[in-house]
Amino acid sequence: MRRHLFAAVLLCAPAAHAAEFTWSETTDPQTMDPHAVNSTPVLGFLGNVYEGLVRRDEDMKIVPALATGWEPIGEGEGWRFSLRQGVKFHDGSDFDATDVLFSYERASSEQADTSSWFAPVSGVRMVDNYTVEIMTNAPNPIFVDSIANWMMLDSGWAKANDATRPDKDAGNYATLNTNGTGPFRVTRREPGLRTVLEPFDGWWDDATHNITRAELTPIQNPATAVAALLSGDVDFINPVPIQDTERLKQNPDVNVIQGIEARVIMLGFPHEAATLKYSAETMDKNPFADVRVRQAVGHAINVPAILQTIMRGNAQEVSQLVGPGMRGYSTGLAERPAYDTDRARALLAEAGYSDGFSFGFKCTNDRYLNDESVCQAVTGMLAQVGLRATLDAMPVQNYWPELRADNYDMYLLGWSPGTFDAEHPIRFLAATPNEEKKLGSWNFGGYSNARVDELLPMIQSEIDDTKRQGMLDEVTAILQDQAAYTTLYVQPLIWGTRANIELTQRPDNFFNLRWVTVDQ
Amino acid sequence: MTDTPLPPDAPIEVKDPSRLRLALDSDFFYTFKRSPVAVVSFSVVSIMVLAAVFAPWIAPHDPFNPGSLNLMNGFSAPMEPNAFTGDIFWLGTDDQGRDVFSTILYGMRISLFVGAAAVAFAMVLGVTLGLLAGYVGGWTETIIMRIADVQLTFPAILVAMLIFGVAKGITPVEYRDQMAIWVLILAIGLSDWVQFARVVRGATLVEKNKEYVQAARLIGRTSPAIMLRHILPNVLSPVLVIATISLALAIIAEATLSFLGVGAPPTQPSLGTLIRIGQGFLFSGEWWILLFPAVTLLTLALSVNLLGDWLRDALNPRLR
Repeated sequence: MRRHLFAAVLLCAPAAHAAEFTWSETTDPQTMDPHAVNSTPVLGFLGNVYEGLVRRDEDMKIVPALATGWEPIGEGEGWRFSLRQGVKFHDGSDFDATDVLFSYERASSEQADTSSWFAPVSGVRMVDNYTVEIMTNAPNPIFVDSIANWMMLDSGWAKANDATRPDKDAGNYATLNTNGTGPFRVTRREPGLRTVLEPFDGWWDDATHNITRAELTPIQNPATAVAALLSGDVDFINPVPIQDTERLKQNPDVNVIQGIEARVIMLGFPHEAATLKYSAETMDKNPFADVRVRQAVGHAINVPAILQTIMRGNAQEVSQLVGPGMRGYSTGLAERPAYDTDRARALLAEAGYSDGFSFGFKCTNDRYLNDESVCQAVTGMLAQVGLRATLDAMPVQNYWPELRADNYDMYLLGWSPGTFDAEHPIRFLAATPNEEKKLGSWNFGGYSNARVDELLPMIQSEIDDTKRQGMLDEVTAILQDQAAYTTLYVQPLIWGTRANIELTQRPDNFFNLRWVTVDQ
Repeated sequence: MTDTPLPPDAPIEVKDPSRLRLALDSDFFYTFKRSPVAVVSFSVVSIMVLAAVFAPWIAPHDPFNPGSLNLMNGFSAPMEPNAFTGDIFWLGTDDQGRDVFSTILYGMRISLFVGAAAVAFAMVLGVTLGLLAGYVGGWTETIIMRIADVQLTFPAILVAMLIFGVAKGITPVEYRDQMAIWVLILAIGLSDWVQFARVVRGATLVEKNKEYVQAARLIGRTSPAIMLRHILPNVLSPVLVIATISLALAIIAEATLSFLGVGAPPTQPSLGTLIRIGQGFLFSGEWWILLFPAVTLLTLALSVNLLGDWLRDALNPRLR
């Protein structure tokens, strides 16, 4: 009898185990609220739980999700969406136009981090229970592309749980709990520790995965993550540390999936600040307000050296806010400021800082590939021209609040254009911050240029590609000229999986559980 | 003057034996000479301390000056010319192009300084409180020793992390890097004073009832004077032993904190910080970034510990 039981257990155990999937990322999604934080770890994770009107497929193409189709209204006054019928939220309630309306109000509210997505929107109308019209201020050809990450919440659920508005800082019910329409529902959430997902039986689409249970465990230390992958404790890690890529490629038990991420790594400056925050001697002014000082920073950094050593040849340098391959990339302006310390020193001397100055440099240590190492190298290179930075590297959880509170003299930022279009970073990083118009929401330094502000709405509504590109080129030229940001490189995307896992890597670094198959 | 020779029959003066002579003839030195472990560990510690103290003169590079680093030297293997610059580094370089040998010397400086200062701080605090508790007694004793008991229920590293976290929160960021070392000393010191206090209190309880203390009291010496001049010298030998062993523990505690990323800043790495950095390259083949600082830490802590063990045996008359 006992032997039979034992055999039965043996037979059952592998089958039950095989479809369980565990993965680790360096950053835990800091909230479960899809409107509270506009960042890849949050939106990428929640893309498994919540859905928008449209979604992106494996090749980044926009395909129907909660909307079955859409069409422009009149001469580009807006877009009409027909909603999918019979869609259920995880708690069993129905999805309809009131939820779209509610999600619009919530995601575009002042408290939401996603509000700038709706800058071109003038209003949302409910035509009937399964038709909504989204009106835009001007013709907006890329609007549908720009709302792929706009996720739908159930209005009744949010109201019942007092979460009708997102709360970035204090958090509310939606920070820890979810109720989406997506293929997976969160069954357990322990922030920073583990998040457990199970497939949602009532999902409207056909499941293409074979997962019975998935668990996300954030592992901050890259070496620990690699060890966990090698030992089989986790099935998938994102990212693989660059230094370990070559070794892992030679291991038959694991696969390395490599691509170029759309993310541009750059340095930001306090354009608006009157004084430096963390200087030992330059108390009464802000040297970074001087364009020559910002240009000096660009010339002082030896990007090829960073790519050669720290990134081990796995990244490419970049001269603008988007990398090559994105729509609207300015091919004629591909040159980064050359590495030239003499030029940097000359520019500093011209600006009146021949002895340099000290300042505070904020950096993440768990967000981008080798971010802290890159920041250390940048600190060293800047020191060689007399720019003495005090580096303060911190986890990303504390990082955004620090930047929002203007606690920096220079900072590191990685930006991935959610629309894969050059307009996206202009709207978020270069437009003058304006809460009412929902512009410049990640422009921490408050960079402002009248011509850029003037061109942005024209770019958004231009349908002719050549004219549009001309305007994008003009903006890029202005930003390069003004050294608004010091762009460094486009970071690579390196994922590692166990050999028995198949999944799809998308260049926006969103990991979708619905494309995972675990070989039995 | 030199050409007047001493008369051969001049009387030979009998001098007091010099202090050095006394020390060399002592039991203590005799047992030291007879213990190979003690001699070896003492030599190792001395060499390491000297290397750390004279690091700026010995080290071929200045790893703490970010402006002097050449990133292209990054990841040079030990004794192999760098692929780009052709420079040779004895123990290789880390990801920033820092010479590992120089960084270890400078890192040892921080580790030893933090360790020694933390132990000194813990010793002063612990001995003072222990003397007070033992000599004064009553409520003073109860309060001090209960605080000590409570603190003993927390792991020392936890206490240190707590203090470090609070201190980091209240120091302004521009001073954080300079303050980090002092905060480390404070944190490790405060987590380590209890041992001293308990031992000194125990010894003081024994000593304070001996005749010489009563005599001192009779001739009207004040309590502080009795504690410091009469009792303290008699309770010092166990303190010395604890101090030596604590030094090894403090060095390890500092390395642990730095390894966890809450200690010495990466721009001013101690041995623990170096090990933390090196750990990231464990799988990628750059073994030297981790191995050399780890071996240094191991050798240092082991030697100090062995020295402490020997000291404990040597100062314990019952073991002779």
